[in-house]
Amino acid sequence: MLELAQQAVEAATKAGASYADARFVTEESESLSVKNQETEGIDRSLSQGVGIRVLVDGYWGFAGTARATEEDVDRTAKLAVEIAGAASRLPREPVRLAEIEPVTAEWSTAYREDPFAVPLDEKVALLVEASRRMQGVKGLAFAEASLDFFRRRSFFASSEGAAIEQTILNSGGGIEATAIADGEMQRRSFPNSFRGDLRAAGYEHIRSIRLTEDAERIATEAVELLSAKECPSEMTTLVLDSSQVVLQVHESVGHPIELDRVLGMEEAYAGTSFLRPEDRGKLRYGSDRVTITADATLPGGLGSFGYDDEGVPAQRVAVVQAGLFQNFISSRETAPVIGDRSSTGAMRADGWQNLPLIRMTNISLEPGEGTLAEIIGDTDNGIFMTTNQSWSIDDKRVNFQFGCEIAWRIKDGRLTEMYRNPNYTGITTEFWGSCDAVGGPQDWHVWGTPNCGKGQPGQIARVGHGTPPARFRNVRVGVR
Amino acid sequence: MPGLIGPDQVRAVAGAALSLPGPDGVEVLFLHEWGGLTRFADSAIHQSTWREDTGLRVRVVSEGRVGVAGSNDFSPRGAERAARSALEMARVAAPDPLFPGLAPKADVPEFDRFDQATADTSPGQRAESVAALIGRLGDEFHAAGALDTTAGEVALLNTEGQFCYAPTTQASVAAVVSGGKGGAGTAEETGSRLGDVEPERVGTRAFEKARDSQEPHDLEPGPFDVELEPLAVSTLVGFLAYIGFGGRAIAEGRSPLSGKDGQKVADQSISIFDDALSPITIGLPFDFEGTPKRRVDLIRQGVFLGGVHDRRSAKMAGAEPTGHGLPPPNPEGPFPLNLFLDTGDATLDDMIGSTERGLLVTRFHYSNVVNPMDTTITGMTRDGTWLIEGGRVKHPVKNLRFTQSILEALSKVEMVGRDSQIAGEFFFAASRVPALKVRGFNFSGKSDH
Repeated sequence: MLELAQQAVEAATKAGASYADARFVTEESESLSVKNQETEGIDRSLSQGVGIRVLVDGYWGFAGTARATEEDVDRTAKLAVEIAGAASRLPREPVRLAEIEPVTAEWSTAYREDPFAVPLDEKVALLVEASRRMQGVKGLAFAEASLDFFRRRSFFASSEGAAIEQTILNSGGGIEATAIADGEMQRRSFPNSFRGDLRAAGYEHIRSIRLTEDAERIATEAVELLSAKECPSEMTTLVLDSSQVVLQVHESVGHPIELDRVLGMEEAYAGTSFLRPEDRGKLRYGSDRVTITADATLPGGLGSFGYDDEGVPAQRVAVVQAGLFQNFISSRETAPVIGDRSSTGAMRADGWQNLPLIRMTNISLEPGEGTLAEIIGDTDNGIFMTTNQSWSIDDKRVNFQFGCEIAWRIKDGRLTEMYRNPNYTGITTEFWGSCDAVGGPQDWHVWGTPNCGKGQPGQIARVGHGTPPARFRNVRVGVR
Repeated sequence: MPGLIGPDQVRAVAGAALSLPGPDGVEVLFLHEWGGLTRFADSAIHQSTWREDTGLRVRVVSEGRVGVAGSNDFSPRGAERAARSALEMARVAAPDPLFPGLAPKADVPEFDRFDQATADTSPGQRAESVAALIGRLGDEFHAAGALDTTAGEVALLNTEGQFCYAPTTQASVAAVVSGGKGGAGTAEETGSRLGDVEPERVGTRAFEKARDSQEPHDLEPGPFDVELEPLAVSTLVGFLAYIGFGGRAIAEGRSPLSGKDGQKVADQSISIFDDALSPITIGLPFDFEGTPKRRVDLIRQGVFLGGVHDRRSAKMAGAEPTGHGLPPPNPEGPFPLNLFLDTGDATLDDMIGSTERGLLVTRFHYSNVVNPMDTTITGMTRDGTWLIEGGRVKHPVKNLRFTQSILEALSKVEMVGRDSQIAGEFFFAASRVPALKVRGFNFSGKSDH
């Protein structure tokens, strides 16, 4: 299939492209969902095709087709060149690509057990058992459990001579308990909401997460939430567990540092960013406890790879160092615009049919000191929230409001009263500036976000976040 | 350019799945889509793309057990492999006591929503349209957005003898204009044909909003009477459909409208229905299970009448399927893809002129559900928000966050616009809604721009 990608590149250059790259991609997925011990969604998918990206006189063109015969590849390459030619109808500064050393390489996710080879009945039995244990709790309406597996095989070739073959494997699973009574609905998820805990790993990851062991506890909490008080409205100290810090990092750090957003390339759809190129090394993003990295080499991260979809090697980039903003995540096109010599290697495409965009790799809040229990123990009065339920943030990533599944009052260093429907709001840099505790490596966890949307046509990326629990002062909670 | 594959070839390929020996029933959903999207920012084309894909989703039923497999290998071999994979999945599934069986043979309404000129739109034509949109902005302002022309065909075949097929096209153009001393405006149009949308009009409208929203003022949040333009109304109607109108969610008690059939849930001026067959929307004449679509009245004069159904939720509720099934597997249940909010008789000027103090809102951004059971959502204003005082637009204001129950807002409607537009669209789906004037809409926070 590398030959097909190379043929596409050759056809594009012959048609007039000054630069061309092509990706032949095969994506397989398997998704299993059980609800109240019934298999409701049991699904396998396969998609393959070739995407061809070209530069003609400094203008981009892209075309993708599922028809991967030699004739169709040639036709699609010529169409990509025609599209680039049409783009010159409106003049702009020609695209200049940051230089890279083209490589010939192979890379694959490290794993021990191929999830696609694990017998289906074993996987279904695990989900049915988790569902059964949740259903054992009186008052529960729905007991759901899910497993998801993705394998992406790609062959990348460029007119600069790159030839890269990669296989990326993701596995994940989770459970969800829903209780309903008197017009109230409450939900608890484990290990995380929105399909659970996903990693770049094989089935060994599924065996390591306690889908059945924690089922009863999760179901009990969902039922208890029905009679819990609403989260009060107040300004208070907020402690977030690592799964909610994921969402906080994703929305209020991961997206604003995307250099295409900063340069206005996403303005009409997802929006831009409050950050400006000149903010590097100057803007105080958070307190000195806050150090954030973008690391595509992180083991287990959904945003880990050997090379991005421009053939740039995976890198670890300092984003925020002790509170001070350091760097964006970039591409070969955008890096030179702000005077950088090289891309940070963050270009990824959803499948073969989409143009690569700057996507989060693994954006992580680096660990500090102490455990979650110690942070709570060190808090006189406040609210502890866990497990994301909803998210909303403005078009420059300034004002946000996030909801969680459950919260507890912290009183004199102990969790006391349970609250339902908790949420909190803030302004990005003020919020990170109020961070006075970041948990240590004991409670630092690599989570996956499998549903990050961006671009037109819409693309979905699977990205990673390593996060510890953290504490924030003077936060507005219980927004109504 | 590729063309339609057509019903005969679809039958030939799908036949390899339908004739698989062993299962009690097989269903093949066929999707073929191609088209170009020209994206622009800073008044230049920066991402221009084209793609073509086919898809087969095969659902197999064996002894009451259901499995699904999908592939974009559109060939008899690809169809057969998908069917075998689905059968393998079905064999490990538990029997589904609520599985209603595959759709029976039934006639499907016929209408023509395929426009050859839209399907054949060239990259040069899209670029010219974008140039027309940007043409009059001047140096102070710049535009970002996208112009999309997509063609496709959908077919549903099953071993009950049902066969339905429909080709379709869609065109949309959307723009955000910004610049000057700060401020932005937006506009968008969607139709079945490229000829239905006018890029120049979209550019002009977005520019006027950007021009009129310069140097926005700070405003403290709180309750305000609001004039919500159609893009903003589409957020309310779309989220209400998402959390409320699905027949399965209603039957399971997960909908805020569960058990409220026949009850008043909104102001008398509010009527919401789903109608894919209307000539002023986009969409297909059948759903993704092969059930013919029909109009469903959801809320009439403020009274909730019932939700939409796929075959499974209809069986749960003891009702008839309404043609709102999504592609399998679909644990969430049916969804209305062609919503309408009935128009009234007010103009936007009528709404503004009757408002002593309030806000004019162009659209919302990145909204999400806060509490589904009381229909509370949150989101931000974007691309043009203005303070109204004494019946006149006074000045633009910086973006505000709202946290508001949708049904509460729809219960406090004072005026309904006489004109409607398609908004918040995605392929095969559209909401056609007018502007609304709503009392006491709750703004809970503010941003800095």
